[in-house]
Amino acid sequence: MRNHNYLNIDVLKLLILISLVAFNSSILYGQDEEVMEDAILSISFSEDNDTKIITTKAVDQSGMPIEDLELYYFVKRTFSLLPIGDSFNSTDENGIIKVEFPIDLPGDTIGNVNIVVKLIESDIYNDQTLEITKNWGIPTVIEDQETEKRSLWAAAANAPISLIVIVSSMIIAIWYIIFYIIFKLYKISKIKPLIN
Amino acid sequence: MNTVIQKEQEYRTKRGKALLGHTVNTSLKYKLWIAFLLLVIFIGGYAYYRQLKFGLVVTAMRDYTSWGIYISNFVFFVAISLVGSLISSILKLNKNDWSRPLTRVSEIIAVAAIICAAVIIIVDMGRPDRFFYVIMHLRIQSPIIWDVIIISTYLVISLLLLYLSLLPDIALCRDRLTAIPKWKKWLYRIMSINWSNHPKQIETHHKITKLLAISVLPVAFAIHTVTSWLFATTWRPGWDSTNLGPYFVSGAFMAGAAVIIVAMYLIRIHLKLKKYITELHFEKMGRLLVLLSLVYLYFNINEYLGPAFKMVGVEGEHITELFTGKYAPMYWFVQLGGLILPIVFLIFKPFRKPLPIFIISIFVVLGAWFKRFLIVIPSLQHPYLPIQDVDESYLHYVPTWEEWAITMSSFAWFLLIITVLIKLFPVIPVLKEKIDSETINKLNVFKNEKS
Amino acid sequence: MENDNSNTDSRRWFLKTISSGGILAATGLALGTFTSCKEKSAEKTTLLTTDGKLVQVPNSEIEAMEHLHQGAPPMEAREGISGKKWVMVVDLSKCKNARKCVDLCDKHHNLTPDRPYIKVYEMKDNEKSSPYWMPKKCFHCDNPPCVKVCPVGATYKRTDGIVLIDNERCIGCRFCMAACPYSARVFNWGDPPEGKLDLPYSPETSLPSKVGTVAKCDFCPDMLRQNKLPHCVPACPNGVIYFGDEIDDTVTNGEETVRLSTLLKDKAGYRYLEELGTKPRVYYLPPVDRLFPFEKNTEENSES
Ligand code: SF4
Ligand code: SF4
Repeated sequence: MRNHNYLNIDVLKLLILISLVAFNSSILYGQDEEVMEDAILSISFSEDNDTKIITTKAVDQSGMPIEDLELYYFVKRTFSLLPIGDSFNSTDENGIIKVEFPIDLPGDTIGNVNIVVKLIESDIYNDQTLEITKNWGIPTVIEDQETEKRSLWAAAANAPISLIVIVSSMIIAIWYIIFYIIFKLYKISKIKPLIN
Repeated sequence: MNTVIQKEQEYRTKRGKALLGHTVNTSLKYKLWIAFLLLVIFIGGYAYYRQLKFGLVVTAMRDYTSWGIYISNFVFFVAISLVGSLISSILKLNKNDWSRPLTRVSEIIAVAAIICAAVIIIVDMGRPDRFFYVIMHLRIQSPIIWDVIIISTYLVISLLLLYLSLLPDIALCRDRLTAIPKWKKWLYRIMSINWSNHPKQIETHHKITKLLAISVLPVAFAIHTVTSWLFATTWRPGWDSTNLGPYFVSGAFMAGAAVIIVAMYLIRIHLKLKKYITELHFEKMGRLLVLLSLVYLYFNINEYLGPAFKMVGVEGEHITELFTGKYAPMYWFVQLGGLILPIVFLIFKPFRKPLPIFIISIFVVLGAWFKRFLIVIPSLQHPYLPIQDVDESYLHYVPTWEEWAITMSSFAWFLLIITVLIKLFPVIPVLKEKIDSETINKLNVFKNEKS
Repeated sequence: MENDNSNTDSRRWFLKTISSGGILAATGLALGTFTSCKEKSAEKTTLLTTDGKLVQVPNSEIEAMEHLHQGAPPMEAREGISGKKWVMVVDLSKCKNARKCVDLCDKHHNLTPDRPYIKVYEMKDNEKSSPYWMPKKCFHCDNPPCVKVCPVGATYKRTDGIVLIDNERCIGCRFCMAACPYSARVFNWGDPPEGKLDLPYSPETSLPSKVGTVAKCDFCPDMLRQNKLPHCVPACPNGVIYFGDEIDDTVTNGEETVRLSTLLKDKAGYRYLEELGTKPRVYYLPPVDRLFPFEKNTEENSES
């Protein structure tokens, strides 16, 4: 720069501009090619009698396995994601992670679970989230939610039959007597006095 | 109308004069008494108006003591009402002649008490405007519904019981009382439903009286048992007990017998019926009261011995509070003054004379009322979780003037209903229940004619 | 009374069909526009109410208003959210009586501090053991004594496990209060302190509260319907309260998500007074390995 200090101000501006562009593009270049890239994650599932394994192979854009890549595994639940596997799961030298899926985790009515695999906060690779639906959960039997069972805490319409029978038979019995007596009183009122 | 009243009433017999006199003549004392009752009712009415306007906040009830003297008063009235019809029906079925003068009184007490019980439960509701929801949205699983059903049934039954035994006497009033205002004549005419001592009428009347006397028994037992279930179906210390049903019923017997004795005494004095309510009646009622008190004592021991022996958690705290804590004075007043001492005194004959037994009975009735207080309130103040984090006012329960006024007015209503019924109808059955030979002859003639 | 009811019902339907779109959008818009000046509570926003009137509302209240619109009307609220069984776990070892859950619950249910739905008890099981804090709300029992005794079905058990109260049906007999062994219920002895809230009533928010009726913790079904946690759960700075779906077998305290069965197994979860057989839907984890020493000074505790 010192050599060019005689250059007029416009030229200087131009130079700064060029160097800025060059600098920037070198950053961009580095990001794409050297610093940050998309990891390629391929997920496969295998199950034995009593284990269910999620196997993930991580390779970079050139197809080389990635070692020591941390991945997070979750299952989607009502409010949040439930972590599965160990607290830290990282790839081995072949770029492979095996994560055991809990065999007793409930899924939806047909046993589907949404498995979420996350790659986050890596220095080299971009964040990514994969979501796979897998038929690995225990199918939940949703009790017939429309028809409430007959019980003491059910709504009035679903009172226990025995209770209804007992109470109403007692009510009928006693009110039958009451009405019988009232009827008899009515009969009494209809009797004409005897004339001696 | 004046001409009608001025006509001097004539009675055919001395008995008629003594027993019908009070329905005809109105004394100044009676008027003052009614005025006093109306005043108390009016004050209670104002208190209730305030409660309607501001909500239950005018009471001292809060989230822990969520039931107060309204409910204990309700239980008291249910207890009183039970015994009226029980005594009358048992005595009727037994063909106990000595007790005939007492049946009418106990029936009247039963009717008055059950009406008051039904009303006081509405007073206790936070939303009386929604009373009919109880019918619209009725849930048969709730003990409250059982109670509502049984109370309304019992109300009808006790009215019927009173009416059936009154029927011949109303006809008698219709036929014999001349010096009474027109409306009263009209009332007797309507209410006597053409009763003419026709043998067939007498026969039917006998039959249904007996039927009713039998069927009132299970209902009367049920009414207080179901009321005890309002408590026994919860987990509260002191309520969570299988003993509660018989405990309540036996307590009701005793309280009711005492109330009848009090009523007998007052009626005897004020209506000058010494000849008809005799010392013999007091003597016999005294014995009955001792017997009933002993039964109640037995259930009391059952109720307190187990928990006091075990001293389990809050149950133990509750018992300790009753025995030696905040509620100890009231508890020992109730147990000694309202139960044990009456038994001891009434064992001796001199105390079964009218005045002593009257005083003792007043103690029994007071004890019975406070006993219900002790059943309802301390239990609520001993929940499983400690009482913390709440306003100071939630810790104690001292009824406010509104609660007392309403409670007092419920008593005034009770007395008013009794007074009016006694004023309208002869308080002691005028006609002898035994069918005399003349009637039997008539009946036979009638039967022969028919066949 | 009935007339009145059907009237409000139809209003509510109107709200549901038209306003839940329109009015909520308006509320949201207002919220968005005014977020910058939210601190100045004197500022007012003009909003459309349920019966089509324009009202001025202080900005400080907008958030609460937005929440209030979500609850289902009384008849609809009787049906639970399908396929769910809500469950709560309270970790006593982490509670230091910060009372944030109480505060937020009070705020969202318009309660005064003297009668909160959530209470934090100072418990001491026996003389030798050390005291601990125990937050307690309604346990939404599966064998609910309160529901059994209600004469009119004003309090009811939903299919998703929640026990709710319909304040438009409650007759105020207070039998449920006597029956609840956990003292979970409070009563509206007088007029609600906040005055009249001009809102359609919903049992899911318990708002607006009505004099002479009973109330309690409702597990915030209005929030659950939007897949959000009840207010008290994220409010706790120490992550004491876990909430979730039993069918899912998962509970979360907003930060940490764990399997319910594992949590209960590993930490020896229990239900309070199990022996009563009420089958509460709220579990406790015993106060062992405490995170905080037991300190009574609530002022300091809540400053965390
Ligand atoms: S904790 Fe009490 S109010 Fe809640 S469901 Fe159980 S019994 Fe009912
Ligand atoms: S107070 Fe209300 S909710 Fe409770 S039992 Fe009575 S009617 Fe039902």
